[in-house]
Amino acid sequence: MQSITRREFVKRTALAGALLTPIPAILEACSTGTPTTTKTTKLTIAAVQGAEDGPLKKVAPMYQSQSGITMEIVEFPYDQLFEKLVTTFQANGSSYDLCMMDDPWMPKFGTMGALQPLDSNFGFTRDSDIPSIVYDVGTWPPPHGPVPPSEQGKSQHLYGITIVGNVEMFMYRKDLATTAPSSWDDVLANAMKFNKPNFYGYVIRGKATNPASSDSLPILWSFGGDIFDTSWKVMLDSTESIDAITFLTQSLKKYAEPGAANIDAADRDRLIAIGQAFQSTTWPAEVTGVVEAQGVSQVIGKMAYIPIPKGPSGKGLGMMGNWLLGIPKGSKNGSAAADFIKWLIKSDNMKTYVQNGGIPTRTSLLNDPALGQANPYFPALAQSLAAQPNWRPRTDQWNAVETIYGTAVNQAVAGLKSPKDALTAAAAQVRTAMKQAGYPS
Amino acid sequence: MNVLPARTSSVRVGRRRLSRDERLGYLLILPSLGAVFVVVTIPFVLVVIQSISSEDGTLIGLRNFTRALENPLLYDAIRATAEYTVLVLPVEILLGLSFALLVHRTVLRPGLRAAIYVLAILPLVVPPVAIGVVARLIYAPGYGVLNVILERLGLMHQEVNWLGDPTLAMLAVASVDVWQWTPFVYLVLFSGLQTVPRESVEAAQIDGANWWAQFRYIDLAYLRPLFVLIIFFRLADVLRVFDHVFILTGGGPGTTTQLLSLYMYRVEFKFFDAGQAAALAVLVLVSFSLLYSLISRALPLERA
Repeated sequence: MQSITRREFVKRTALAGALLTPIPAILEACSTGTPTTTKTTKLTIAAVQGAEDGPLKKVAPMYQSQSGITMEIVEFPYDQLFEKLVTTFQANGSSYDLCMMDDPWMPKFGTMGALQPLDSNFGFTRDSDIPSIVYDVGTWPPPHGPVPPSEQGKSQHLYGITIVGNVEMFMYRKDLATTAPSSWDDVLANAMKFNKPNFYGYVIRGKATNPASSDSLPILWSFGGDIFDTSWKVMLDSTESIDAITFLTQSLKKYAEPGAANIDAADRDRLIAIGQAFQSTTWPAEVTGVVEAQGVSQVIGKMAYIPIPKGPSGKGLGMMGNWLLGIPKGSKNGSAAADFIKWLIKSDNMKTYVQNGGIPTRTSLLNDPALGQANPYFPALAQSLAAQPNWRPRTDQWNAVETIYGTAVNQAVAGLKSPKDALTAAAAQVRTAMKQAGYPS
Repeated sequence: MNVLPARTSSVRVGRRRLSRDERLGYLLILPSLGAVFVVVTIPFVLVVIQSISSEDGTLIGLRNFTRALENPLLYDAIRATAEYTVLVLPVEILLGLSFALLVHRTVLRPGLRAAIYVLAILPLVVPPVAIGVVARLIYAPGYGVLNVILERLGLMHQEVNWLGDPTLAMLAVASVDVWQWTPFVYLVLFSGLQTVPRESVEAAQIDGANWWAQFRYIDLAYLRPLFVLIIFFRLADVLRVFDHVFILTGGGPGTTTQLLSLYMYRVEFKFFDAGQAAALAVLVLVSFSLLYSLISRALPLERA
């Protein structure tokens, strides 16, 4: 037998190790992935982390025990979920069988052709117990309002089913004010009346981008302003839009909390929950998560919830913030995923879902007195949905537009620019962005 | 018994044949080079291609660069990044140097030095997100600890808007960076001070050199290359700053604290303008490569 020196042995071992190290990675890269099986054994849901997916996590095991299909919920924070879904869809990945989507994301995913149609592929039909706007928000191209140029002429399909029936509402201290504000003038009068040291007449959620945008849009619409008209013409610098933002950032701001330009939903809820503020806009998850939460809030039972008050336009328009479930095109388990959605929105199952903290879309559940007792905002939510709330403009450019608009409102809240200057600059930026994306502007 | 051939220099006219050891060396580094090629070179080439392509992959020349340079928000981001850099770099270097000199000259017990070393490591290993959340608890309007302390000490009578005022917001985000990265500067400079020969210092002391002369003519010579290292690392870090700014101010008020990294993130993940984001990435890379070469020429390592 040929013998070798120790030095040579070490060299050869090192060489073999160096050459063999990348082999597992090469084999992994060359593999064809998990073969498709005929029977689904697991469904993976990409979900948003927080109050929105909490009830889903509670009822998914029930479906698992009934169907025998393992339910895996992969959670991401809000921003990361959107980024993860976009990159997964771009690669037509099959990582997720279901995905939770905020309703403003629908235009992006609809334009990308990222989702499987639920009506033509899986036989979904509209249920009369669920408001039509809830189905409309999951339909692409949008059934009403302006349609992006690239999507005009395409056939409409249902791509998402709402599982969190969020609509932005208004809340105020009913133990202090005897009547509900019916207009933004009433809101201002109450802000002035109840404002005092360490008790703010109004809370502005003014942090840059999404928070400032969400907080101000219902006011913008109620004043007759808008971001686009029905032909995508930018309306941010219209008199109505400037009046609306002037009302928020100058009139209401006089009675708002200090540092409003850095306030997000959690800060607003804290001020309301510790009894340091009179009124603000709100979302259902904020009500259940903080304002009416036992052991957290000092104002339980003291708050009233109403639809968004009317503005000079004569309308009070709430904003939709529905969370939908959709089936990515890359999913190999579409039928099983569709069965899960159908199971979830069945009346009995949705009731269980609501009892576990879910926000329903069924009118019968929103008007259920027993459920309303535990969820004092349900009547306001039912009224808001029935009144056809607005959705954010159905454009795949919404994220860019929201960033520009939300930054401009934040500048006005912070006093860095006048509302007129901020909105005029934002309008110019939005026009440029939309023009580059192929929209008339 | 296996007899190994004698090692030869094997030089041929025009081209030298590699020895066995050299061939083995190249083979051993091949996997690492392959990994670098996959995770660095390929993405860089893809970014360059993306920067000259439209969304559908058509080559469009420098149009993405033109759009990136025409966007006024880019200049807001550059201004914010420059302000942030001018605030954090000198403060971190001066504070780090002061701590390093203080500990080097006054703390002589090894146990105490080790304890300070551990304390200095701590901020460096805390995730930036956690630091951002804690900083928000300090500076937040309404419940921020800093306002409460200032009020109880009687130093102010109304709440300071740390995150809503443009100047204070920039100071607030910069202070977090100073807290986290001054220990890094301290550790690097302190280790540099350990290399200063004791004999040189003692000779200077015998000659009557005061502390400033010792620092200027002895310590500084040994620290100069480390300053280059620190500036290189910290400039690269400043370009990557994201987490704590995102949590503290989200780039606001307005775009006051929207640093380049946050702006590029928004162009890519909010505007989904991959072409412009790639063009920005290439521009930043080229600009900072030039800046680095200027800095290294101004402070050459060989001077030490």
